[in-house]
Amino acid sequence: MAETYDFLFKFLVIGSAGTGKSCLLHQFIENKFKQDSNHTIGVEFGSRVVNVGGKTVKLQIWDTAGQERFRSVTRSYYRGAAGALLVYDITSRETYNSLAAWLTDARTLASPNIVVILCGNKKDLDPEREVTFLEASRFAQENELMFLETSALTGENVEEAFLKCARTILNKIDSGELDPERMGSGIQYGDASLRQLRQPRSAQAVAPQPCGC
Amino acid sequence: MASDGARKQFWKRSTSKVPGSIQHVYGAQHPPFDPLLHSTLLKSTPKVPTTPVKAKRVSTFQEFESNTSDAWDAGEDDDELLAMAAQSLNTEVVMETAHRVLRNHSQQQGRPAPQQVPTPEPELQPVAEPPPALIGDLRLVKSVSESHTSCAAESASDPVPLQRSQSLPHSATVTLGGMPEPSTLGSSALSEREASRLDKFKQLLAEPNTDLEELRKLSWSGIPKPVRPMTWKLLSGYLPANVERRPATLQRKQKEYFAFIEHYYDSRNDEVHQDTYRQIHIDIPRMSPEALILQPKVTEIFERILFIWAIRHPASGYVQGINDLVTPFFVVFICEYIVEEEDVDRLNISRVPAEVVRNVEADTYWCMSKLLDGIQDNYTFAQPGIQMKVKMLEELVSRIDEPVHQHLDQHEVRYLQFAFRWMNNLLMRELPLHCTIRLWDTYQVSAPPPASRNPRAFHISTCTFVLLSS
Repeated sequence: MAETYDFLFKFLVIGSAGTGKSCLLHQFIENKFKQDSNHTIGVEFGSRVVNVGGKTVKLQIWDTAGQERFRSVTRSYYRGAAGALLVYDITSRETYNSLAAWLTDARTLASPNIVVILCGNKKDLDPEREVTFLEASRFAQENELMFLETSALTGENVEEAFLKCARTILNKIDSGELDPERMGSGIQYGDASLRQLRQPRSAQAVAPQPCGC
Repeated sequence: MASDGARKQFWKRSTSKVPGSIQHVYGAQHPPFDPLLHSTLLKSTPKVPTTPVKAKRVSTFQEFESNTSDAWDAGEDDDELLAMAAQSLNTEVVMETAHRVLRNHSQQQGRPAPQQVPTPEPELQPVAEPPPALIGDLRLVKSVSESHTSCAAESASDPVPLQRSQSLPHSATVTLGGMPEPSTLGSSALSEREASRLDKFKQLLAEPNTDLEELRKLSWSGIPKPVRPMTWKLLSGYLPANVERRPATLQRKQKEYFAFIEHYYDSRNDEVHQDTYRQIHIDIPRMSPEALILQPKVTEIFERILFIWAIRHPASGYVQGINDLVTPFFVVFICEYIVEEEDVDRLNISRVPAEVVRNVEADTYWCMSKLLDGIQDNYTFAQPGIQMKVKMLEELVSRIDEPVHQHLDQHEVRYLQFAFRWMNNLLMRELPLHCTIRLWDTYQVSAPPPASRNPRAFHISTCTFVLLSS
């Protein structure tokens, strides 16, 4: 029996190399720190069903490679994302400085309405901090981002980051600001009970069925 | 918020090509292929074959490994395998299997079998050896990258990353080109064969001028461990066929490499190079097999090799994944100097004489360079080499297993999403190291000169095999 959910959101995890994107995802999905995390090549996936404001939401998370050279390829994965975690490393100014470029990519390639939460990761390494909470929150405010400092190591604020992003998207759906049926919204209805998807092709694929293979 | 019109405009615009990207991915518009869900399904429900035709072959990697008399480990192979090196046989097997698959499919679909198998790209054809072995009618498709995410504790040092398909029904008939299964061969016969194969290699290598063509033929089905280092050096073009010229060449190349180090390595903290060095520096500890690479001395060697290569090849520079390609060379070359029984993971580098380590470092650098010469377009801007290879994989799969291809398409799974890493890291993240090393025996011979150092075609066949058998 396949899991049921009210909505499916496509999420991205983006940011420079070595900021802990895969570890954040791993912590969110497995509830533990991934000690021997290898660098991501291309894209990896994870998903988890969460409860937000009385709704069941399946988060389908695309964890992208951070190295510059992969950018031309990873960009092709952005299309139709509803939410994104934009990650930098609080102990590396360099990763903070490239945030603007990542954000531009997300807004132009995914959707101008993409809901982005800025994550200052490696909060546990406070003694080595190079980016203050204050300046990052200012950046977040100026760019209309939500902001949290997270630690994939301790798990602090990791769940919150994903949930906060999901909650905001749900609110926007409720208020009509986001239309799930718009092409490329990054949002789908989960159950036939809620609403049938319009395209026959996707409707067919939505029904959990043994694929006969 | 923007007006509807403006939004449409935006989307309209972005349907067109974005610089550097080949295809868009509509992952969220339609229920996407859900790797986690899919693998749970796989695990919990033993698949009941839907048609008798499909029931034929399903095999795990270990099963394949144990059922084939290939040189997974040094010298395990036998003479029959040599025959497979003959192109004619390969082509025959490919064609025959392709016909059979087409026949089966058309029977299923109630259509007459096409008379002619579409001819794949010429370069694909001669090397399409693995698909016949496993063109099972298996329709299960699972990205290996998925197993990475879903299997929490999996590290690349895990010797059996493909084991999750174990719950699949076991195959009744796994044959590889009509060869006898190893169980039918007495172990003494096997070791005799091993010995005679090893002798053949030794003879070839000792000839005044090694017959490289003969060496390629012999190497196709695996190179025995004792002669692998020398054979790789010859096949990659690093060492000359002339036996007398080899020591001098080695010396010259080793000297040359250390001159590079002297010349360039201090510049790693200069502003122009610090990004490159920093990236290499943070990537190496995240590699595997950790035990070996985490030894500070080895880490330093990898850093030097990668940094020198990167700054001497500015068109691509250092790209993640290239670091993985150092490992097989280093391990193979260092193994020449360690006791047979010793596990490479437990090797303590500080016990190997410094001179030996230096030579291994230089040899690794040069052989890796030779390999990368043939695939540098994998790592240049927009990674055209990878894009092209993924396209070829797609093409090949669509021709030899249309249902799998359609299944992927129907679920909006793009080949680039799962096969990118297969190309970028030459499957090293998907296979245990000893299999990679065995695979590279064949990569080294898979294409005749001048593209001799381009493992492209065989690699794509291998990827096809991985896709269709996982």
